[in-house]
Formats: sequence, C-alpha cells, structure tokens
Amino acid sequence: MPFVSIDVWTIIMQWGNLLILMWLFKKFLFKPVMAILDARNDEIKNIYDEAEAVKKDAEELKNEYDSKLNGARDEAEEIVKFAVKNAKISSDEIISDAQSKAASIVERANEKILIERKKAVNEAKNELSDMALTIAGKVIERQINSYDDKRMIEKFIEELGDVS
Amino acid sequence: MEGPKILFTIPYLNINVTETVVDTWLVMAVITLICIWLTRNLKVVPTTRRQIVAEKLVEMANNLVNNTMGERYKFLTPYIAALFASSIIGSLSSLVGLRPFTADLSTTLSWALLAFIMIQGNNIRLNGIGGWLKGFMEPVPFLLPLNIVSEIASPISMSFRHFGNIAAGMVITSLLYSALAALSRFVIGWIPNEFVASIPIFQLGLPAILSIYFDVFTSFLQAYIISMLTMVFVSGVDPRN
Repeated sequence: MPFVSIDVWTIIMQWGNLLILMWLFKKFLFKPVMAILDARNDEIKNIYDEAEAVKKDAEELKNEYDSKLNGARDEAEEIVKFAVKNAKISSDEIISDAQSKAASIVERANEKILIERKKAVNEAKNELSDMALTIAGKVIERQINSYDDKRMIEKFIEELGDVS
Repeated sequence: MEGPKILFTIPYLNINVTETVVDTWLVMAVITLICIWLTRNLKVVPTTRRQIVAEKLVEMANNLVNNTMGERYKFLTPYIAALFASSIIGSLSSLVGLRPFTADLSTTLSWALLAFIMIQGNNIRLNGIGGWLKGFMEPVPFLLPLNIVSEIASPISMSFRHFGNIAAGMVITSLLYSALAALSRFVIGWIPNEFVASIPIFQLGLPAILSIYFDVFTSFLQAYIISMLTMVFVSGVDPRN
C-alpha cells in the first residue's frame, strides 16, 4: 500500500473496530466500575442517612433531657421556696410559742412569788400574834383566850403590819 | 517510506486486510484484557490499587465528557474513551515495534468520518432537517458555499492532522535512524574491523530522547485533540449549549 492511501475496506473495518472497542469498554470497564461507584454512593448515602437519623435522635433526646432538667430545676426551686416558707412559718410559730410560754412562766412565777410572800407575811403575822399573845399573857399573867382579846391583838398587829 | 503492508486477502470478497487492521485488533485485545484485569474483583470499599486506577480512569472519562459536552451526552463517554484509547495506544504501539495504525490515513479518516456523521446527525436530531439546512445560510445566505466547505473540511482536517503528526513522527524517527547510522559509519568507519565499524553507536540513546516528543508527546496530544474536537463539534451544534 502507498504511504498516503485511502482504503475503503480499512475505513469500514476501523469503524467496526472502534465501535466494537466502544462496546468492549462499556461492557468491561464502564458498566462494572459505574455499578461499583453507584453501590458506593448508595452505601455512603445510607451511612449519611443513618448518621442524620442518629443525630436527630440524639438531638431529640438532648432536648428532652434539657426540658426535663429545666423542669427539675424549677421543681427544686419550688421545693426550696416551699421549704423556706414552711420553715419560716414554723420558726415563727416556735418563736411565738416560746415567747408566750416564757411569758406564762414569768407570770406564774410572779404569782407564785406573790402567794409565797403573802403566805410568809401571814405566817409571820400569825407567829407574831401568837408571840404577842404569849408575851401579853406572860405580862398580865393570864390566859388571853377570849375571842375579843384575840381580835384586839390581831387588829393591833395588822395596824403594825400596815405601818411597816 | 512504505504504507501499511497487506497481510492477507479475504478470499472471494477480495478484501485486503492490512497491517493497520491487524494491529488494531491487537490493540483492542490488549485494551480489553487491561479492562478485564482492572475491573476484576471490584469491591465497594476498594482494597486494590487496580480498582482505584479503574475508577480513576472512568471518572476522568466521565468528567471530560461532562465538562466538554454536558450531562446530556453522558452516553457518548464509552465512545470518546474508545476513541482516545485507540488513538493513544495505536500511536504508542510504534514503541513496541508495530506500525502505528494511526499513521494510516484510512484509520484517522474513518474516525473523522464517524465524527462527521455524528455532528450532522446530532444537528438534524436537534434542529430538524429545516434547521440543519438553514444553518448553512447563517449568518448570511451569501456564506453558503463557505459553510459547506467548512463542514466538509472539518473531518478532512481532523484526519489529516492526526495522520500527519503520527506519520511525520514515524518518518522523522526513521530518517533520524538512517542519519545516525550514516554518522556512525562516518565517525568510526575507519576502524579496520568490519563488525566494529558497522556498529551504529549514535543510534544509542539519542533517538529515545527525540522519541519522547515525536512518539509519546505527539501521541498524547493527537489523541487528546481528536477526542476533544469530536466532543466539541458534536455538542457544538446543540442549540442548548
């Protein structure tokens, strides 16, 4: 064949060859590789979807916990407030109770003192009147028994007591 | 310089099967075997370097076609890949001593004619026969002859460009070999020993360096150019682009 030549049959064969090579490429290179690439893309997509779902779940859980936590905080605050209020009320009660108790104790003590004093004064008066009677009896050498006498002496002592 | 040799003739039909066609078959067989080897045992999670290479090749072809022609012409990817691979391996086959079948005008002309058919076919498909014919009268009817000439010229220029580059590389390489042989003869021809005197010492090394340009670089460039032109021309008639 000459160096620069056009051979119709060669052209036709080269067409065929190129188209066959294209088919071979498609069958042996593009199809398997594209299949594997698609499979990989699917897998990656699945993994991403899964990750997205897990992330969403986690976010939901987080929100739930957050709201729960906030609720718990509010509740705790409420409890503390309530407890403080209760404690204040009960402490007030206790204080007032103690105050009234103390007041009553003081009052009773005062009363007791008064009674004791009266008792002591009366006893002293009685003793004094007895002593006076004895002394007077000794003085006048006779028994002072009559009611009138007694009465008189007691009156005297009474006046004496009032003076003192 | 000889053209492709006729290796055998198919009897009765009287079809001459040239070196070109047989070399093409060899190249196709090699490409197919490489493809089968590359795509053996593919896994979703790649475990072999082979698979990564295969995926990279497919991805490169897809990207090239997508970027140049658009998503719509994805179906042409295997064609462009076959064209590119045929061209490059055909041209590079000179490195293993075959006659590059791209240095046969019939081969490049067949590819260019195929591109021509695809261009016109795509034009008619997208614009209708009326639109296609009207396209020759644009921008002004006066340019009709020029438009026809440019349409016919494109496959011719495509095929001659590819053929010329590879054939010229072949010619230059063989010229260089004879020149270097002559130079060797001239420099060491005085040695009385006939065997030593006939050693073409200058043929060692230097042709390899020039071959990087004339064979390897040109092969890549021409393969790229012919696939690029095919893509650009075929998608260029698309009014949507």
